[in-house]
Amino acid sequence: MFAATAVFLLLFPAIFTLPFPQHIMIMIFLYATLAQSWNLIGGYAGQVSLGHAVYFGAGAYTSSLLLMKWGLSPWLGMLAGAGLAAGLSLIIGYPCFRLAGHYFAIATIAIGEIAQISMVNWKGGGGAVGLYLPILDESFTNFEFHSTKVPYYYIALGITAIVFLVTYLIEKSWLGFYFRAIKGDLDASRALGINVPKYKSIALAISAFFTAVAGTFYAQYILFIDPESVLPLMLSILICLVAILGGVASVWGPFLGSVVLVSLSEYTRTYLGGGGKAIDLMIYGGLIVLIARFQPEGLMGMLKKFR
Amino acid sequence: MALLQVNDLTKRFGGLVACDRVSVEIQEGEIIGLIGPNGAGKTTLFNCIAGFYPPNAGRVTFAGQDITSLPPDRVCQLGIARTFQVVKIFKDMTVLENLMVGGFVRSLNTRKVHQEAMETLNFTGLTEKRDMLGGSLTIADKKRLEIARSLMTKPRLLMLDEAMAGLTQKETQDALELIHKLHEQKITLFLVEHVMEVIMPISHRVVVLEYGKKIAEDVPEKVSNNEEVIKAYLGDKYHASRRAH
Repeated sequence: MFAATAVFLLLFPAIFTLPFPQHIMIMIFLYATLAQSWNLIGGYAGQVSLGHAVYFGAGAYTSSLLLMKWGLSPWLGMLAGAGLAAGLSLIIGYPCFRLAGHYFAIATIAIGEIAQISMVNWKGGGGAVGLYLPILDESFTNFEFHSTKVPYYYIALGITAIVFLVTYLIEKSWLGFYFRAIKGDLDASRALGINVPKYKSIALAISAFFTAVAGTFYAQYILFIDPESVLPLMLSILICLVAILGGVASVWGPFLGSVVLVSLSEYTRTYLGGGGKAIDLMIYGGLIVLIARFQPEGLMGMLKKFR
Repeated sequence: MALLQVNDLTKRFGGLVACDRVSVEIQEGEIIGLIGPNGAGKTTLFNCIAGFYPPNAGRVTFAGQDITSLPPDRVCQLGIARTFQVVKIFKDMTVLENLMVGGFVRSLNTRKVHQEAMETLNFTGLTEKRDMLGGSLTIADKKRLEIARSLMTKPRLLMLDEAMAGLTQKETQDALELIHKLHEQKITLFLVEHVMEVIMPISHRVVVLEYGKKIAEDVPEKVSNNEEVIKAYLGDKYHASRRAH
């Protein structure tokens, strides 16, 4: 099953040569990466963050600005952005992790809003107008491809594969056990020698790191970013919903959630045009209600039952 | 030198003095019982020793090291494990996974921890239930699971907070057997217990708290004949039944 999926994903651009299906797959990979990153802190460690757009934006802005101001390769910018996001997450986590449950979620929303408003007002970072990335020659080094989406497809696939592999390894290691323990019971975790703030920070930093990697990818793929596209609250919520729909604290859940969400939104957008705006989210919201009511483990939980 | 030494520990919650200059000394290998009426400060004392509450005054020394006000994870790393009065198992993790969480404080090697968890499951008689979710166990098994999970941290001192409360006669016997096995493993035990018939025969010494103060500390026979203790806690009925023997 796993091997078949892998082969299919590798051969996909050869079978579906039109840009549209390739674009859909790229968006699926993007959201799968985001949801999986979120899954580490929100799913495994149980700390529901509704401010992940901050890290996405940090990745997108850092690599874009470094490229535009100093001509730094977006690949290095990607690492710089990811590092910055991880550092930022430590600063954000320090006060926020003192809050439990809903209060933590609310604090992360507030921080997301602060980030968006700051970027709107920071002229040096493009302000509300945003940044148009320079059009460079097509090459892997430049991280820009204009004639075909295929290289983007494989880069996105690669990033997704890495994030999924990292999650899998974390799940099997002490980190995964500690994250789940923290989600399960704080007092018991502390009594068993777990430094709770430290491990929450680790989960958030890894999560922020990969969220920022996805942010850089997005910037290089769309070649335009502004606070409205990379820092909105809606993005933070979507990231979290994809993971919940697919099934939190499972390696494959975020991928499944992403397949459903992205197909839904891209097809409603295509077939209903501007008039269909937000219909995907209405359907999606309905799905979330059904999932929460009947299958709290998400689509993965449903699959397990059929097995 | 005592393994655990509590000197004049005081813990206040607002105007309430939950522990009032309590001193306790526990030697390596002992089984010490801690009893007292509801609200006497037993669990508070546990929480202060284990680092869950910082005491307002007093000192806690473990194996010669001052551990007063250390956070719980540090206290655990130094060799004190505890269970909770209201069980706190990881209900969405299997029994085996619950144990493994405890093991990682001593080693980060998943395979080694898995191996140790299997041995501890065997030791505590939970092997057959290893794949069940923690939340689906009976209360007796949950309490057993908490003990097994604590053992994974390789404690020198294990503090059990009402490990036998709410168990049936048979389950209590099984729990007692486990406690005897722990004692044979040279683990020092500090037990809070309400079931008098259970704690008296197994404890080397019993400490009695009332309104936060230590009112007695002695071998079980003497404690159960101590007039003040009888008045405070045991009641005339228990006193009478002791005399009838």
